[in-house]
Amino acid sequence: MRALPTIIAKDLKLLLRDRVALVFILIAPIVVICVAGFSLAAFYGADATGQTAYDLPVVDEDGGELAQKIEQQLAAQPSVHVRRVASRAEAERLVRDKLAGSALVIPAGTRDALASGEAARVLLYVDPVKYLERLNVRLEVLRARDELAAAERERVVAELEAQRGALRQQLEALDATLARGREQLAAAEQSARGERARAAAEVQAAFERAAARVRSDVARQVDEQLAALAARVDTDIAARAAAVAAPAREYLAALTDARAKFEAWFAELKRLADRRADQIPPPPEFPEPPPELTRALEEKPPPIALPPDLNIRIELPSPKLPSAGAEPPVDLERPSIEIPEPVIPGATLAVEEISVSGGAPTINTFDQNVPGFSVTFLLLGMLLGVSLGLLDERDWGTFDRVRALPVPASDILLGKLASRFAVGVVQMLVLFAVGYFLFGISLGPQPWALALPIAGIVFAGTAFGLIVAAGARTRDAVLPLGSIVIVTMAAIGGCWWPIDLEPRWMRTVALAFPTTWAMDAFNDLMIRRRGVEAAYWPTAVLFVYGFAYLGVGLVLFRRRMSR
Amino acid sequence: MVSAGAPAIAVDRLVVDRDGRRILDEVGFAVAPGEIMGLLGPNGAGKTTTLGVLATLLRPSGGAVRVAGHDAATDAKAVRAAIGRVPQDIALYPRLTGRENARFFARLRGVGAAAARRAAEDALASVDLLGRADDRVATYSGGMQRRLNLACGLLGSPPVLLLDEPTVGVDPQSLERIVATIRAQAANGAALLYSTHHMDEAEQLCDRVVLIDRGRVIATGTPRELVASAGVGLRVDVATQRPLRAEWLADLAGVRVLETGGPERAGRRVATVAIDSLELAPRVLERASAERANVLEFRVQRASLHDAFLALTGHASRD
Repeated sequence: MRALPTIIAKDLKLLLRDRVALVFILIAPIVVICVAGFSLAAFYGADATGQTAYDLPVVDEDGGELAQKIEQQLAAQPSVHVRRVASRAEAERLVRDKLAGSALVIPAGTRDALASGEAARVLLYVDPVKYLERLNVRLEVLRARDELAAAERERVVAELEAQRGALRQQLEALDATLARGREQLAAAEQSARGERARAAAEVQAAFERAAARVRSDVARQVDEQLAALAARVDTDIAARAAAVAAPAREYLAALTDARAKFEAWFAELKRLADRRADQIPPPPEFPEPPPELTRALEEKPPPIALPPDLNIRIELPSPKLPSAGAEPPVDLERPSIEIPEPVIPGATLAVEEISVSGGAPTINTFDQNVPGFSVTFLLLGMLLGVSLGLLDERDWGTFDRVRALPVPASDILLGKLASRFAVGVVQMLVLFAVGYFLFGISLGPQPWALALPIAGIVFAGTAFGLIVAAGARTRDAVLPLGSIVIVTMAAIGGCWWPIDLEPRWMRTVALAFPTTWAMDAFNDLMIRRRGVEAAYWPTAVLFVYGFAYLGVGLVLFRRRMSR
Repeated sequence: MVSAGAPAIAVDRLVVDRDGRRILDEVGFAVAPGEIMGLLGPNGAGKTTTLGVLATLLRPSGGAVRVAGHDAATDAKAVRAAIGRVPQDIALYPRLTGRENARFFARLRGVGAAAARRAAEDALASVDLLGRADDRVATYSGGMQRRLNLACGLLGSPPVLLLDEPTVGVDPQSLERIVATIRAQAANGAALLYSTHHMDEAEQLCDRVVLIDRGRVIATGTPRELVASAGVGLRVDVATQRPLRAEWLADLAGVRVLETGGPERAGRRVATVAIDSLELAPRVLERASAERANVLEFRVQRASLHDAFLALTGHASRD
């Protein structure tokens, strides 16, 4: 093993001085990565630089606003470049002449139809040959449509909310006004009650004063009038008594005379009745004139004496004062007004893509191309480095020369393989670094974890190079044999396109290739942003492949040397 | 180390079969320390195969090979440590410098870095390449590459040197330098097995030679012994513009056609004839003239190892 470092150093020197090999393992993959990355940018629905966006002519027959919105929406997508064209015919021509894969026409009346709630449609002229472009453009147009619909819905909802808010404010203002009215009314009522009480007191006092004055005046007047009345009564009585006394006395004299005549008549009667005189009831007795009457008629009537303590009570009605609670209640309560819930326009069904691994749903195309073409050129580099390297040694005669030295043959092979392994690792690291700094590829949450699949695929590739070297008898046989196998492994293994594009049977076949496992690990670490644990199994498989290749290669090589 | 008196290289009844064909058929020879043994034969004779077995690169089908006292079949590592191998084709890393090549091969001989540096410097100096030691080998001339190829085989002064046509295509200056270096190694006690098909070169350089043809050893000995044993006294080269008939010397006694005339080169063909005595030379010239082949050149010289090889095998060494 003492010779191993010497052999490795020699092989590294040989490689560093082989400009063709350096170009092939470093410059060529970068160029191919650039070409593939830019040309396949839209394949992954993303474009790292915006240079490869699909050209989408847009015809606006509708009058501008809707087209402008659609254009704004599409302009935000990196994979579509919108440009206005004048007419539908021009759009058709661009698609027919293969200058565009699709063209969008917004017919007249589209916006009005939408505004009035009617169904409307836009037209998409397509070139069926440009299937992928058509799909991507259609996807972007649908996305723009959904975003416009969502924006319109948001606008309507916001407007409704604004209207509801304004109405709510007006109701609140009304409530505030009513509250103020109620407060003012209460104050007015209280003030009125005070005024009423004060007026009532004043009225009462005035009334009392007036009543007293009236009572005084009335009493005085009554007294005066009573006195006069008494005098007049006295006079009148005296007159009337004088006038009555004479007839009365005449009446009493007549009455006494009548009584005497009656008694004479009655006695005659009884005599005339003779035998029936007994049955005649005694006649009523004429009453004797009362002595008082006789005395009154005899005497002058005394004057009417007024009582000295004549108390004349004058009851005045109380003044009618306004009642405090007599006013009818004022209803200042706002009737209940319910603001109805707005009728929200039907929402669009949005699709939210959620990467189950936490990575972005869309990928940088170089996240696929950098590891894919790095692996491809790694394997091709191994083909040149190991297979052609060993053939070079044979052609140069150095292989036999070294074999004739006291160095184990295994050291020669191990040195070659070890140097190529080191070169392969450096090649992958350089290409990933270029991908990171030039194209912004993702290195995943644990960039160092990439070392696992890198080591695995480099080891497998190195050992595979030994198989080709042992199996190919001539230099001319290496490239056809090796490149066919490598290109097949790379293509089927998902180095050039996502393996999911392949049919199921091919994906099953791909499991037999180390490229598949390497790409699986790179995709997991870089795109799906998984942790290092995602690389354990693929790396283990890669090393198993590597050891198997190494075993087969050594057997073939030994058989070759023994001939 | 080689024990005193024992050959540094001992090949006994070596057989190599490949794909059902016998490449070496009971080849045997021995090389003593300090001896330069030429391994001569035409292309395809089995020289490189013999050297491959000695360098442990090829597994023999039969026979025994010992190098520096070690059995090549069972003690390959010890054999490799004892040999310095200079392959027929340039076996260098063209993108490394001469110094880097020398140090690399020195290190693989198991010596430390400092010793490897010294050995590399010594080897480069021995082939006069120190001035270009830091240039990439790809920029070297063919002769410089040959010299470096040789130097890388001499690293560490191994006791056994296997040189497989180390002077092919070199310029005279490089050839002279290479020969000097080889002689110096032998003078230092190394046993050298020197494979070549240049007979004159072997004749000048080698102490002994093994003539091998079609996998068999035809003769072994010093060049002088081989020439003598072949019975070739004088050699006549006849250059003509047109080809001579095969039977142009058919009835002339004491004369043998070694080569009837190879392909035309620069408008002339050369036929080689062995004659028993100088008197036969004019007769040969007469016959050539009679063939109306337009004789351009007629040369008589002493027989060489090449002539002996022709006489022993019946064909030229470069066939």
